[in-house]
Amino acid sequence: MTTETAARTEAPRVRSWPTTLGLLSGPLLWLAFFFLLPVVIVGAYSVGGLSLFPTDAGLSLFDWRRFLTGESIYMGLFWKSVRMSLTVSVVVVILAYPIGYFLALGTKRRKYVLLLVIIAPFLTSYLLRVLAWKVILGDAGLVNSFMFWSGVRSPDDPISWLIYSRFTVMLVLAYVWIPFVALPIFVTLENLDRSLLEAASDLGASRWRTFWRVTLPLSLSGVLAAFVFVFIPTIGEFVTPLLVGGIRGYMYGNAISDLFTQGLDWQTGSVLSLFLLTVVAILTALFGRFLQVRKVVTD
Amino acid sequence: MDVAFSRAALRLHRLFFVLLVVFLYAPILLLAVFSFNDNPTPGFPLSGLTVRWYQQFFSNEQLVRALRSSLIVAGTSSTVAVVLGVLASFVLVRRRFAGKAFVSALLLSPLVIPYLVFGISLLILFKWVDDILAATFGVYIGLGLHAVVIGHVVISLPYTILTIVPRLERLSISLEEAARDLGAGSAETFRRITLPLLVPSLVSSYLIAFTLSFDEFAIASFLVQSDATWPVYLFAQLRFPVLLPQLIAVSVIVMILSILLVGAAEIGRWRAERRLRA
Repeated sequence: MTTETAARTEAPRVRSWPTTLGLLSGPLLWLAFFFLLPVVIVGAYSVGGLSLFPTDAGLSLFDWRRFLTGESIYMGLFWKSVRMSLTVSVVVVILAYPIGYFLALGTKRRKYVLLLVIIAPFLTSYLLRVLAWKVILGDAGLVNSFMFWSGVRSPDDPISWLIYSRFTVMLVLAYVWIPFVALPIFVTLENLDRSLLEAASDLGASRWRTFWRVTLPLSLSGVLAAFVFVFIPTIGEFVTPLLVGGIRGYMYGNAISDLFTQGLDWQTGSVLSLFLLTVVAILTALFGRFLQVRKVVTD
Repeated sequence: MDVAFSRAALRLHRLFFVLLVVFLYAPILLLAVFSFNDNPTPGFPLSGLTVRWYQQFFSNEQLVRALRSSLIVAGTSSTVAVVLGVLASFVLVRRRFAGKAFVSALLLSPLVIPYLVFGISLLILFKWVDDILAATFGVYIGLGLHAVVIGHVVISLPYTILTIVPRLERLSISLEEAARDLGAGSAETFRRITLPLLVPSLVSSYLIAFTLSFDEFAIASFLVQSDATWPVYLFAQLRFPVLLPQLIAVSVIVMILSILLVGAAEIGRWRAERRLRA
C-alpha cells in the first residue's frame, strides 16, 4: 500500500488551464444545469418568485414565516421526524458497533467474506426489503396468518399494531440501514493501531477498561460517520412510511411529497424542501470531516 | 492473550453476528419462499409449490415494459455517468488547479441530497423550462424517461468518481509521461495508455451506477409519465393484492441478478488491483 501511494500522480508542470476547464466542463455543466439550477428554482418557488399557477404570483416570505414560526403543522412534523430518525440512527449504531468490532478484531481470514455477508442485503432492492416487512407484518401477513393457523389468535383479532405505526417505520428503517452502517465502524476499527490495545493490556488494564478508555474513544469518528450516514437519508425518508407507516408513521418527507403530488401547494412544498436541504447541508458541513467519504483532493 | 476479546465475549459476539444475519436475511428469504407458494395471498400455511407466478410475469406486458424502461434508463444513465466520471476523476487526480477542493466537494455533493428533494427539484426544473419554451417557441419537453436519466446521472456521478479516482491514483504518471516522451499527444496518451489501464474500475463503476439507477424509486416517481420504470411500477401495483406474488417473483429475480452483478464487479476489481500490485 505505502509504496503505491508514494507514486506521483499529478502532472509536475503547470498545464494550461483551458484544457483542465475543457475536461471539467462536461461534469460541471451537467451538475450546474441539473443539480444546482433546480435547487435555485426551488428557492424561487419558496418565496413566490415563481409559482404553479400564474395568478398567485408575487414575492412573499409568508410561507417561510408560517413554517418557521410553527404556525403550520409542518414544523411539528419535522421534529417528529427528527426524533424518529434520531432513534433509528442511535439504535442502528448500537447494533452495528459489536458487528464492526467482531469483524475487525475477532475474525481472521474470513473477515471480508463475513463483511460481505452483512453488506449484501444493502445491494438488494430497497423497495423489496420494505415490501418484505409489509408482507410479514400486515393484518393478513405472515406473522398474523401464522398466529391464526397455529390457533394462538382468532382470525377476527389480528395483532394490528404490527403495521401502520411509528414503531414499524422505525423497525423497517433500522433493518434497511444496519448493513450500511457496519461498514464505517468496521473500517475505523480495522485501521486502529493494535499495539495501543496491547500497550493498555501490558500496563494492566482489563479488556473492559481497554475498550472504554482506548478502543471506543479511538473509534468515535467511525461511530459519528455511521450516525450521520443513517440520519441524513432517514430524515428525508418518505417511501417506508408510505408503505408501512399509515397515518401514525407519517413523516416530514411524506408532507413534502403530498404537497407536490396531491396538495399542489408547490410554494409550501418548496419551503419544506429547501429547509430539509439546509439541515442536511449543515450536518454535512459539521460532520464532513468524519465522513471520510474519501479524500479526493490530493493536495 | 487476545486484547480485544475474552473467550466468553468472543462467543457472545459470534452469536450476535449470527442473529443479526438471520434478522437481515429472514425477511428476504421468506419473500423468496412465498414466491413459490401456490396461493395469491402470502400467508401461512404454505399451500404447495408452484412456478405459476414466474410464468405469469412473462405474459404480463406492462410489467415487462416497466423492466425494459428501467434497463434503458439504467443503461443510458450509467454510460453518461461513467464518461463524466472519467473526465472528472482524471482532472481531479492529474491536474493542479485553483478551486480544486470546491470542485471536488461539488462533484460529491449529490451523495447527501435527499432523493425526495432532488426529484422534486427536477420536476420543478422541467416545469420551468417548459413554461419558457411554451411562451417563446410554443413547444415543450415534458417529463418522462429522459428526465429520469438526467437525474440518475447526477446521483451516480459521485459513485463513479469514488470508484475511478483510487485506481487512477495508483497508476503512476510515469507511464503517461513515457508515452508522451515517445511522441504521443495528450489525447493519444489518454486513449492508448490511461483508458485501457482504467478498464476494471470503469466496469465496476458502470455496474454500480447501473444497479443504483435500476433500483431508484424516489426520483423516478416524480418524473415518469405513462412509461413507469420498474420500481415505480412495482410501487403502483402494490395496491392490487392479486399481483403481489408476481411482483415478488420478479423482485426475487432482479435481486439475485443485482447481487451477482455487483459481486462480479467487486471480485473483478479486487483481482485487477492485485495484478496492478504484483
